[in-house]
Amino acid sequence: MAKAFGIVNFAGNHIRVEGMQAYRPIGAFSFLGRYRLIDFPISNMSNSGIDHIQVYIRRKPRSLVEHLGTGRHYNINSKKGKLHMLFSENGVENDIYNNDIAAYLENMECIEDVHYPYVVIAPSYMVYSMNYQNLLKNHIKSGADITLLYHSVDNAKEFFSNCSILNLNRQNGVLSLEPNRGNVENRNIFMDTYVMKKDLFIELVHEAKKISSVFTLADIVNQKCAELDIRGMAHSGFFASITDFKSYYHANIALNNYQTARTLFDLNWPIYTKTNDSCPTQYFETSNVHTSVISDGCLIEGSIENSIIGRGCIIKKGAVIKNSVILPGCTIDEDVWIENQVIDKRAQIVHAKELIADENHPGYVRRGDRI
Amino acid sequence: MKHSNMLAMILAGGRGSRLHELTNKVAKPAVSYGGKYRIVDFPLSNCANSGIDIVGVLTQYESILLNSYVAAGRRWGLDAKNSGVYVLPPREKADSNLDVYRGTADAISQNIDFIDSYAPEYVLILSGDHIYKMDYDKMLDAHKEHQADATIAVIQVPIKEASRFGIMNTDETGRIVEFEEKPEHPKSNLASMGIYIFNWKLLRRMLTADMKNPDSSHDFGKDIIPQLLADGKTLFAYHFKGYWKDVGTIDSLWEANMDLLDKNNELDLNDHTWKIYTEDVSIPPQYIGETADIKRAFITQGCIIDGTVHNSVLFTGARVSETAKVIDSVLMPGVKIAEGATVTRALVAANTKIGKGAVVGSADSEHIELVSKDIKGVE
Repeated sequence: MAKAFGIVNFAGNHIRVEGMQAYRPIGAFSFLGRYRLIDFPISNMSNSGIDHIQVYIRRKPRSLVEHLGTGRHYNINSKKGKLHMLFSENGVENDIYNNDIAAYLENMECIEDVHYPYVVIAPSYMVYSMNYQNLLKNHIKSGADITLLYHSVDNAKEFFSNCSILNLNRQNGVLSLEPNRGNVENRNIFMDTYVMKKDLFIELVHEAKKISSVFTLADIVNQKCAELDIRGMAHSGFFASITDFKSYYHANIALNNYQTARTLFDLNWPIYTKTNDSCPTQYFETSNVHTSVISDGCLIEGSIENSIIGRGCIIKKGAVIKNSVILPGCTIDEDVWIENQVIDKRAQIVHAKELIADENHPGYVRRGDRI
Repeated sequence: MKHSNMLAMILAGGRGSRLHELTNKVAKPAVSYGGKYRIVDFPLSNCANSGIDIVGVLTQYESILLNSYVAAGRRWGLDAKNSGVYVLPPREKADSNLDVYRGTADAISQNIDFIDSYAPEYVLILSGDHIYKMDYDKMLDAHKEHQADATIAVIQVPIKEASRFGIMNTDETGRIVEFEEKPEHPKSNLASMGIYIFNWKLLRRMLTADMKNPDSSHDFGKDIIPQLLADGKTLFAYHFKGYWKDVGTIDSLWEANMDLLDKNNELDLNDHTWKIYTEDVSIPPQYIGETADIKRAFITQGCIIDGTVHNSVLFTGARVSETAKVIDSVLMPGVKIAEGATVTRALVAANTKIGKGAVVGSADSEHIELVSKDIKGVE
């Protein structure tokens, strides 16, 4: 039953991941060593039988376009299905106009052309597993106009900044959406995931534009809470929202725990990614690795603890890596000590003998830097 | 992109009976190797990296898995227009009865129509069960340079082992003057690697004649090559230097895996200029637990390690539980080692479970123990 098509959306203007976002959109961030964030929403859709997927891209498309390619690795039927990359170029001179509504309007023809009656919209910057067929079934059964996916958390003060929250009534009806101001721990974090009829979606897009040139889909949905039947559906399992630097670091480190990872990865729910054809990882006599997630193609002679190591990293003798996220293709030279860091792609830590940050404020080494 | 006018045929019909249970259900080329590969990935990747567009794979013994595996030519990038991997099991033809491939040469003879349809100038004959990296395009260059009728790749082997191989005796220019199959008293140490380049027109004539010869065993080494020499054709040896292994036994398969543990090992699977491509599996990266102790190991995605792994190669999705020990061993895909179990000098076949506290293999065994049935735990 493929009644819905999918939209994978980019992060709004209020979301900013310091450092990393300068090089690529959040969807293209490396995650857990071998994935990119956008693999999660696309795999969710593909596994849910959604075979027409539109991916909206606004800035720095190179890494995302390269990764998505023809989309064959997402197990989408290569004739009937489609992974459609759509670009928004409006408002390049002024970013505030370059939001989701502008992107939908610019590509309205492609949206109108899709023959499926429903649309599932998911963000490229959140990590979770979800069967969207269940979301769609639930939505149709309830008779609601719009269903929004949310995750209840008990740490909204410190985390989930730049996220929205849902205020719900007892019947899970959505009363309003508002930014998470971090003043209450227990919150229903909106997962920026919607299901509704395609016609209603198109209507809302046009209406948003009429009200304000800077209105987003979330803004118009919030405005419609009284008028339309908008309901929330709770999500369970692993959930991370990559909406600032800290959340990127913590989402990676949290998945070091295998029990936690099992709530994201399921044998029957594969997360697809583009293969790099790396060989297995080689551990040498002096290696000492604990509580870590290691990708393929690494050469490991040093010590690694509570860290994520990306594809093709070289960790030399005497090097120590603790509580860190090392992106693919990095080299950590002999006797270098790395603690509480995010080391971006292909960086080489050669000269510095110590890169130690406070555990509450992880450090960042730029892509391709040689330190 | 049009590359060369050479087509490759991979002989992948052999059973490899000395691999025992490992080849009960799959042919030898489909046997797992090196953590995430199958042996046939090597010739197929070599073809792709050498710019060969058309590859025929001749299958026969237990070919279901091999057929479906090889048919996904996309894995090796062999799926452009005018490019492809074609599975060629024996088939019934209008003018002959369905027959098995009677020998390596017969397998090619029975597919003359397939080769003709691409009208190649050269045909490369490969074996599907050897582990090595080789640029066949360079071999073709040598073949053309010598204006040879056939070129045979050779590798130097220790002279005391030479009697196990087909030995080429060459003159000072590298021209083959004599070929001896498993000679008792070898005159040289140049062993045939079973890799041949032929001018197709000549080979086609030879095969057509060979098919009609009732005394022929229809084998390249025993019949075609000696006949070419007898006919006075120009055969050259092409010297290969590097890692090459024919893994015919459990011991040699284990050894070939262990070779990967050496720093700067000759095969170098990490070489980005000559990648070996294989099936892409969608499972998470390897999870190394708090209690893990890993020294000298080759480990791939999907593995979960909470125990001790020393001097071992672990394939996709292998699990080693807390307090379990895996020493000098090879764990094939999906193997599970329960708490307290010890595995030493063993090769554990795919999806085998070793129960709690079980002891498998021993440090001073002469041969490597093949474990292909679940081992119950010790209470």
